[in-house]
Amino acid sequence: MKKKLTLAILLAATGTAAIAGPIEEQIRFRQSAYSFAAWNVQKIKNQVVDHPETYNKDTVAAAANAIAAVANSGLGALYGEGTDQGIGWKQTRLKPEFFQKKAEVTVAANTFNEAANELAKVAATGDANLIKTQFGKVGESCKGCHDLIRIKE
Amino acid sequence: MKITIHIWDLPHRLFHWLLAVSVAASYITATIGGALIDWHGRLGIFILGLLVFRILWGFMGSTHSRFSTFFPTFSRLTAYLKGSWQGIGHNPLGALSVIALLGTVAIQVGTGLFANDDIAFEGPFFNFVDKSFSNKLTSWHSTTFYVLLAFVVLHIVAIIFYRWVKKTNLVTPMLTGKKEIPVALAESIAPLPDQSFNALRFILSLIISCTIVWGVSGGLSQLSPAQAAQQKAPPPSSF
Repeated sequence: MKKKLTLAILLAATGTAAIAGPIEEQIRFRQSAYSFAAWNVQKIKNQVVDHPETYNKDTVAAAANAIAAVANSGLGALYGEGTDQGIGWKQTRLKPEFFQKKAEVTVAANTFNEAANELAKVAATGDANLIKTQFGKVGESCKGCHDLIRIKE
Repeated sequence: MKITIHIWDLPHRLFHWLLAVSVAASYITATIGGALIDWHGRLGIFILGLLVFRILWGFMGSTHSRFSTFFPTFSRLTAYLKGSWQGIGHNPLGALSVIALLGTVAIQVGTGLFANDDIAFEGPFFNFVDKSFSNKLTSWHSTTFYVLLAFVVLHIVAIIFYRWVKKTNLVTPMLTGKKEIPVALAESIAPLPDQSFNALRFILSLIISCTIVWGVSGGLSQLSPAQAAQQKAPPPSSF
Protein backbone atom coordinates (compact mmCIF):
# COMPACT_ATOMS: atom_id res chain seq x y z
CA MET A 1 0.00 0.00 0.00
CA LYS A 2 2.71 2.33 1.05
CA LYS A 3 4.65 1.43 -2.07
CA LYS A 4 1.67 2.21 -4.27
CA LEU A 5 1.23 5.59 -2.61
CA THR A 6 4.90 6.40 -3.13
CA LEU A 7 4.58 5.34 -6.75
CA ALA A 8 1.51 7.54 -7.20
CA ILE A 9 3.31 10.52 -5.69
CA LEU A 10 6.33 9.86 -7.88
CA LEU A 11 4.16 9.65 -10.98
CA ALA A 12 2.35 12.85 -10.08
CA ALA A 13 5.66 14.60 -9.53
CA THR A 14 7.00 13.37 -12.88
CA GLY A 15 3.79 14.53 -14.52
CA THR A 16 4.19 18.03 -13.10
CA ALA A 17 7.79 18.11 -14.22
CA ALA A 18 6.72 17.08 -17.70
CA ILE A 19 4.26 19.96 -17.85
CA ALA A 20 6.81 22.40 -16.45
CA GLY A 21 9.41 21.12 -18.89
CA PRO A 22 8.24 22.76 -22.12
CA ILE A 23 7.85 26.14 -20.41
CA GLU A 24 11.35 26.10 -19.03
CA GLU A 25 12.59 24.87 -22.37
CA GLN A 26 10.98 27.75 -24.23
CA ILE A 27 12.53 30.20 -21.79
CA ARG A 28 15.92 28.53 -22.10
CA PHE A 29 15.83 28.53 -25.89
CA ARG A 30 14.86 32.16 -26.16
CA GLN A 31 17.48 33.23 -23.63
CA SER A 32 20.05 31.34 -25.70
CA ALA A 33 18.82 32.96 -28.90
CA TYR A 34 19.20 36.48 -27.50
CA SER A 35 22.59 35.68 -25.97
CA PHE A 36 23.80 34.43 -29.33
CA ALA A 37 22.41 37.57 -31.00
CA ALA A 38 24.13 39.71 -28.33
CA TRP A 39 27.51 38.16 -29.15
CA ASN A 40 27.02 39.09 -32.80
CA VAL A 41 25.75 42.58 -31.95
CA GLN A 42 28.89 43.07 -29.89
CA LYS A 43 31.14 42.13 -32.81
CA ILE A 44 29.47 44.64 -35.11
CA LYS A 45 29.55 47.34 -32.46
CA ASN A 46 33.25 46.72 -31.98
CA GLN A 47 34.25 46.73 -35.63
CA VAL A 48 31.86 49.31 -37.00
CA VAL A 49 31.21 51.79 -34.19
CA ASP A 50 33.91 51.64 -31.53
CA HIS A 51 37.01 50.67 -33.50
CA PRO A 52 36.27 51.18 -37.21
CA GLU A 53 39.97 50.63 -37.99
CA THR A 54 39.41 46.95 -37.15
CA TYR A 55 36.47 46.57 -39.57
CA ASN A 56 36.42 43.20 -41.30
CA LYS A 57 33.75 42.82 -43.94
CA ASP A 58 33.36 39.05 -43.60
CA THR A 59 33.16 39.02 -39.80
CA VAL A 60 30.56 41.79 -39.79
CA ALA A 61 28.52 40.22 -42.59
CA ALA A 62 28.56 36.85 -40.80
CA ALA A 63 27.47 38.55 -37.56
CA ALA A 64 24.65 40.42 -39.31
CA ASN A 65 23.46 37.19 -40.95
CA ALA A 66 23.48 35.48 -37.56
CA ILE A 67 21.32 38.24 -36.04
CA ALA A 68 18.94 38.07 -38.99
CA ALA A 69 18.78 34.29 -38.64
CA VAL A 70 17.78 34.64 -34.99
CA ALA A 71 15.18 37.25 -35.93
CA ASN A 72 13.76 35.08 -38.72
CA SER A 73 13.68 31.86 -36.70
CA GLY A 74 10.14 32.37 -35.46
CA LEU A 75 10.98 33.37 -31.89
CA GLY A 76 7.30 34.00 -31.23
CA ALA A 77 6.88 30.24 -30.79
CA LEU A 78 8.96 30.48 -27.61
CA TYR A 79 6.48 32.79 -25.92
CA GLY A 80 3.75 30.29 -25.07
CA GLU A 81 1.19 30.70 -22.28
CA GLY A 82 2.79 30.62 -18.86
CA THR A 83 6.28 31.49 -20.03
CA ASP A 84 6.25 34.74 -18.04
CA GLN A 85 7.14 32.58 -15.04
CA GLY A 86 9.95 30.08 -14.88
CA ILE A 87 13.64 29.50 -14.96
CA GLY A 88 15.52 28.83 -18.19
CA TRP A 89 19.22 29.52 -17.76
CA LYS A 90 17.93 31.94 -15.18
CA GLN A 91 14.60 33.47 -14.13
CA THR A 92 12.76 34.88 -17.14
CA ARG A 93 12.33 38.63 -17.34
CA LEU A 94 9.17 38.50 -19.45
CA LYS A 95 6.46 40.79 -18.08
CA PRO A 96 3.08 39.11 -17.57
CA GLU A 97 1.59 42.01 -19.59
CA PHE A 98 3.14 40.37 -22.63
CA PHE A 99 -0.02 38.34 -23.08
CA GLN A 100 -2.25 41.43 -23.04
CA LYS A 101 -0.02 43.42 -25.36
CA LYS A 102 0.29 40.98 -28.21
CA ALA A 103 -0.65 43.52 -30.90
CA GLU A 104 2.06 45.96 -29.76
CA VAL A 105 4.56 43.13 -29.33
CA THR A 106 3.89 41.97 -32.88
CA VAL A 107 4.62 45.46 -34.23
CA ALA A 108 7.81 45.72 -32.14
CA ALA A 109 8.95 42.23 -33.13
CA ASN A 110 8.35 42.89 -36.83
CA THR A 111 10.30 46.13 -36.56
CA PHE A 112 13.22 44.11 -35.21
CA ASN A 113 12.92 41.51 -37.97
CA GLU A 114 12.88 44.13 -40.70
CA ALA A 115 15.79 46.05 -39.17
CA ALA A 116 17.84 42.85 -38.77
CA ASN A 117 17.19 41.74 -42.35
CA GLU A 118 18.10 45.17 -43.66
CA LEU A 119 21.32 45.04 -41.60
CA ALA A 120 22.25 41.71 -43.19
CA LYS A 121 21.63 43.28 -46.61
CA VAL A 122 23.81 46.35 -46.02
CA ALA A 123 26.50 44.30 -44.26
CA ALA A 124 26.94 42.38 -47.52
CA THR A 125 27.69 45.64 -49.37
CA GLY A 126 30.62 46.39 -47.06
CA ASP A 127 29.66 50.08 -46.74
CA ALA A 128 30.67 50.77 -43.15
CA ASN A 129 28.68 53.99 -42.91
CA LEU A 130 25.46 52.36 -44.06
CA ILE A 131 26.09 49.47 -41.68
CA LYS A 132 26.62 51.85 -38.80
CA THR A 133 23.34 53.66 -39.45
CA GLN A 134 21.37 50.46 -39.84
CA PHE A 135 23.05 48.98 -36.77
CA GLY A 136 21.68 51.92 -34.77
CA LYS A 137 18.19 51.12 -36.05
CA VAL A 138 18.55 47.50 -34.97
CA GLY A 139 19.53 48.75 -31.49
CA GLU A 140 16.42 50.93 -31.37
CA SER A 141 14.28 47.98 -32.40
CA CYS A 142 15.75 45.85 -29.58
CA LYS A 143 14.85 48.60 -27.15
CA GLY A 144 11.32 48.60 -28.55
CA CYS A 145 10.63 45.17 -27.06
CA HIS A 146 12.74 45.66 -23.93
CA ASP A 147 10.77 48.76 -22.95
CA LEU A 148 7.48 47.05 -23.69
CA ILE A 149 7.65 43.59 -22.14
CA ARG A 150 10.90 43.11 -20.29
CA ILE A 151 11.31 43.39 -16.53
CA LYS A 152 14.14 45.61 -15.33
CA GLU A 153 16.36 43.69 -12.98
CA MET B 1 18.77 101.79 -1.88
CA LYS B 2 20.21 98.81 -3.65
CA ILE B 3 23.66 97.83 -4.65
CA THR B 4 24.80 95.33 -7.26
CA ILE B 5 27.15 92.60 -6.17
CA HIS B 6 28.92 89.84 -8.05
CA ILE B 7 27.52 86.62 -6.75
CA TRP B 8 28.07 83.70 -9.18
CA ASP B 9 31.39 83.63 -10.96
CA LEU B 10 31.59 82.63 -14.62
CA PRO B 11 32.77 79.00 -14.09
CA HIS B 12 29.92 78.51 -11.61
CA ARG B 13 27.36 79.76 -14.14
CA LEU B 14 28.85 77.76 -16.98
CA PHE B 15 28.79 74.67 -14.79
CA HIS B 16 25.13 75.25 -13.98
CA TRP B 17 23.89 75.69 -17.54
CA LEU B 18 26.09 72.97 -19.02
CA LEU B 19 24.81 70.57 -16.37
CA ALA B 20 21.20 71.49 -17.12
CA VAL B 21 21.65 71.02 -20.86
CA SER B 22 23.67 67.80 -20.48
CA VAL B 23 21.15 66.20 -18.13
CA ALA B 24 18.31 67.03 -20.53
CA ALA B 25 20.32 65.67 -23.45
CA SER B 26 21.14 62.49 -21.49
CA TYR B 27 17.47 61.89 -20.92
CA ILE B 28 16.62 62.37 -24.60
CA THR B 29 19.45 60.16 -25.89
CA ALA B 30 18.60 57.37 -23.43
CA THR B 31 14.94 57.47 -24.38
CA ILE B 32 15.58 57.24 -28.11
CA GLY B 33 18.35 54.67 -27.78
CA GLY B 34 19.83 53.07 -30.86
CA ALA B 35 23.00 54.81 -32.00
CA LEU B 36 22.31 57.68 -29.57
CA ILE B 37 23.09 55.47 -26.58
CA ASP B 38 26.77 56.13 -27.28
CA TRP B 39 26.09 59.85 -26.94
CA HIS B 40 24.31 59.10 -23.70
CA GLY B 41 27.54 57.49 -22.50
CA ARG B 42 29.65 60.44 -23.64
CA LEU B 43 27.31 62.89 -21.95
CA GLY B 44 27.57 60.87 -18.75
CA ILE B 45 31.34 61.15 -18.74
CA PHE B 46 31.07 64.87 -19.50
CA ILE B 47 28.71 65.24 -16.55
CA LEU B 48 31.24 63.38 -14.40
CA GLY B 49 33.76 66.04 -15.40
CA LEU B 50 31.28 68.80 -14.52
CA LEU B 51 30.68 67.24 -11.09
CA VAL B 52 34.38 66.89 -10.34
CA PHE B 53 34.86 70.50 -11.37
CA ARG B 54 31.99 71.65 -9.16
CA ILE B 55 33.38 69.84 -6.14
CA LEU B 56 36.83 71.37 -6.66
CA TRP B 57 35.21 74.74 -7.25
CA GLY B 58 33.44 74.32 -3.94
CA PHE B 59 36.84 74.67 -2.33
CA MET B 60 38.66 76.88 -4.82
CA GLY B 61 35.97 79.07 -6.37
CA SER B 62 34.85 82.53 -5.39
CA THR B 63 32.97 83.19 -2.14
CA HIS B 64 29.45 82.06 -3.00
CA SER B 65 30.58 78.94 -4.85
CA ARG B 66 32.35 77.60 -1.75
CA PHE B 67 30.69 74.87 0.25
CA SER B 68 31.89 76.47 3.48
CA THR B 69 29.88 79.60 2.60
CA PHE B 70 26.55 77.88 2.12
CA PHE B 71 26.78 74.36 3.57
CA PRO B 72 23.44 73.76 5.31
CA THR B 73 24.68 73.20 8.84
CA PHE B 74 22.17 72.51 11.58
CA SER B 75 22.51 76.00 13.04
CA ARG B 76 22.05 77.66 9.66
CA LEU B 77 18.98 75.54 8.95
CA THR B 78 17.34 76.29 12.29
CA ALA B 79 18.12 79.98 11.91
CA TYR B 80 16.55 79.91 8.47
CA LEU B 81 13.42 78.13 9.64
CA LYS B 82 13.03 80.63 12.50
CA GLY B 83 13.35 83.42 9.96
CA SER B 84 16.52 84.87 11.43
CA TRP B 85 18.88 83.77 8.64
CA GLN B 86 20.31 86.51 6.48
CA GLY B 87 22.55 86.03 3.51
CA ILE B 88 23.12 86.56 -0.17
CA GLY B 89 24.04 83.25 -1.82
CA HIS B 90 22.27 79.91 -1.47
CA ASN B 91 19.96 80.00 1.55
CA PRO B 92 20.14 76.87 3.74
CA LEU B 93 17.09 75.24 2.13
CA GLY B 94 18.44 76.06 -1.32
CA ALA B 95 21.74 74.56 -0.23
CA LEU B 96 19.95 71.32 0.66
CA SER B 97 18.48 71.36 -2.83
CA VAL B 98 21.95 71.89 -4.32
CA ILE B 99 23.27 68.89 -2.39
CA ALA B 100 20.25 66.76 -3.36
CA LEU B 101 20.66 67.62 -7.04
CA LEU B 102 24.42 67.12 -7.14
CA GLY B 103 24.13 63.91 -5.08
CA THR B 104 21.49 62.42 -7.34
CA VAL B 105 23.42 63.32 -10.46
CA ALA B 106 26.48 61.71 -8.86
CA ILE B 107 24.49 58.51 -8.26
CA GLN B 108 23.41 58.56 -11.90
CA VAL B 109 26.97 58.99 -13.10
CA GLY B 110 28.31 56.39 -10.67
CA THR B 111 25.78 53.70 -11.63
CA GLY B 112 26.00 54.61 -15.32
CA LEU B 113 29.73 53.89 -15.38
CA PHE B 114 28.98 50.21 -14.64
CA ALA B 115 25.74 49.95 -16.59
CA ASN B 116 24.81 48.06 -19.74
CA ASP B 117 21.73 48.27 -21.92
CA ASP B 118 21.64 44.59 -22.94
CA ILE B 119 21.87 45.72 -26.56
CA ALA B 120 25.07 47.38 -27.61
CA PHE B 121 26.22 49.60 -24.78
CA GLU B 122 28.44 49.05 -21.79
CA GLY B 123 29.64 51.73 -19.40
CA PRO B 124 33.42 52.22 -19.22
CA PHE B 125 33.67 50.29 -15.93
CA PHE B 126 31.32 47.46 -16.98
CA ASN B 127 34.13 44.92 -16.97
CA PHE B 128 34.97 45.58 -13.32
CA VAL B 129 31.73 43.97 -12.12
CA ASP B 130 29.80 40.87 -13.11
CA LYS B 131 26.88 41.08 -15.49
CA SER B 132 24.14 40.56 -12.90
CA PHE B 133 25.50 43.35 -10.71
CA SER B 134 25.75 45.58 -13.77
CA ASN B 135 22.09 44.80 -14.48
CA LYS B 136 21.21 45.75 -10.92
CA LEU B 137 23.07 49.05 -11.22
CA THR B 138 21.41 49.68 -14.59
CA SER B 139 18.05 49.20 -12.96
CA TRP B 140 18.95 51.66 -10.17
CA HIS B 141 20.16 54.01 -12.89
CA SER B 142 16.71 54.04 -14.49
CA THR B 143 14.86 54.28 -11.17
CA THR B 144 17.03 57.05 -9.71
CA PHE B 145 16.27 59.10 -12.79
CA TYR B 146 12.78 59.69 -11.37
CA VAL B 147 14.30 60.92 -8.10
CA LEU B 148 16.44 63.33 -10.11
CA LEU B 149 13.41 64.40 -12.10
CA ALA B 150 11.55 65.12 -8.84
CA PHE B 151 14.42 67.29 -7.55
CA VAL B 152 14.59 69.15 -10.87
CA VAL B 153 10.85 69.83 -10.76
CA LEU B 154 11.19 71.03 -7.16
CA HIS B 155 14.09 73.27 -8.23
CA ILE B 156 12.02 74.84 -11.02
CA VAL B 157 8.90 75.19 -8.86
CA ALA B 158 11.02 76.93 -6.21
CA ILE B 159 12.34 79.36 -8.82
CA ILE B 160 8.79 80.14 -9.95
CA PHE B 161 7.70 80.53 -6.32
CA TYR B 162 10.49 83.02 -5.68
CA ARG B 163 9.60 84.93 -8.83
CA TRP B 164 5.86 85.28 -8.21
CA VAL B 165 5.47 85.12 -4.45
CA LYS B 166 8.72 86.44 -3.04
CA LYS B 167 9.33 88.76 -6.03
CA THR B 168 12.92 87.58 -6.33
CA ASN B 169 14.43 86.77 -9.69
CA LEU B 170 16.84 83.87 -9.32
CA VAL B 171 17.39 83.20 -13.01
CA THR B 172 18.97 86.51 -14.08
CA PRO B 173 21.80 86.31 -11.50
CA MET B 174 22.57 82.79 -12.75
CA LEU B 175 22.91 84.27 -16.25
CA THR B 176 24.72 87.54 -15.51
CA GLY B 177 26.41 86.65 -12.22
CA LYS B 178 25.11 89.87 -10.70
CA LYS B 179 22.51 90.37 -8.04
CA GLU B 180 20.89 93.49 -6.62
CA ILE B 181 20.55 93.51 -2.87
CA PRO B 182 19.39 96.18 -0.41
CA VAL B 183 22.27 98.12 1.08
CA ALA B 184 20.88 97.42 4.53
CA LEU B 185 21.21 93.67 3.95
CA ALA B 186 24.73 94.03 2.61
CA GLU B 187 25.67 95.96 5.74
CA SER B 188 23.87 93.78 8.25
CA ILE B 189 25.27 90.39 7.32
CA ALA B 190 28.53 89.27 8.76
CA PRO B 191 31.19 89.87 6.14
CA LEU B 192 32.19 86.66 4.41
CA PRO B 193 35.81 85.99 3.72
CA ASP B 194 36.10 87.47 0.26
CA GLN B 195 37.47 84.90 -2.12
CA SER B 196 37.47 86.39 -5.53
CA PHE B 197 37.86 84.52 -8.78
CA ASN B 198 41.37 83.16 -9.17
CA ALA B 199 42.47 82.14 -12.66
CA LEU B 200 45.19 79.83 -11.41
CA ARG B 201 42.77 77.89 -9.22
CA PHE B 202 40.36 77.75 -12.14
CA ILE B 203 43.00 76.24 -14.43
CA LEU B 204 43.98 73.75 -11.74
CA SER B 205 40.34 72.64 -11.30
CA LEU B 206 39.93 72.37 -15.04
CA ILE B 207 43.07 70.27 -15.46
CA ILE B 208 42.05 67.84 -12.73
CA SER B 209 38.52 67.49 -14.16
CA CYS B 210 39.79 66.96 -17.69
CA THR B 211 42.32 64.38 -16.54
CA ILE B 212 39.60 62.37 -14.82
CA VAL B 213 37.37 62.59 -17.90
CA TRP B 214 40.26 61.45 -20.08
CA GLY B 215 41.08 58.54 -17.77
CA VAL B 216 37.49 57.31 -17.50
CA SER B 217 36.83 57.60 -21.23
CA GLY B 218 39.53 55.09 -21.99
CA GLY B 219 42.67 57.21 -21.88
CA LEU B 220 44.27 54.94 -19.30
CA SER B 221 43.98 51.85 -21.47
CA GLN B 222 45.54 53.78 -24.36
CA LEU B 223 48.73 54.09 -22.33
CA SER B 224 49.61 50.50 -23.18
CA PRO B 225 48.90 50.38 -26.93
CA ALA B 226 49.76 46.72 -27.40
CA GLN B 227 47.24 45.60 -24.81
CA ALA B 228 44.59 47.96 -26.18
CA ALA B 229 45.04 46.62 -29.70
CA GLN B 230 44.76 43.06 -28.44
CA GLN B 231 41.42 43.85 -26.80
CA LYS B 232 40.12 45.70 -29.83
CA ALA B 233 40.83 43.20 -32.55
CA PRO B 234 41.05 39.56 -31.59
CA PRO B 235 42.45 37.51 -34.49
CA PRO B 236 39.66 36.20 -36.75
CA SER B 237 38.65 32.63 -36.10
CA SER B 238 39.63 29.98 -38.63
CA PHE B 239 36.41 27.98 -38.30
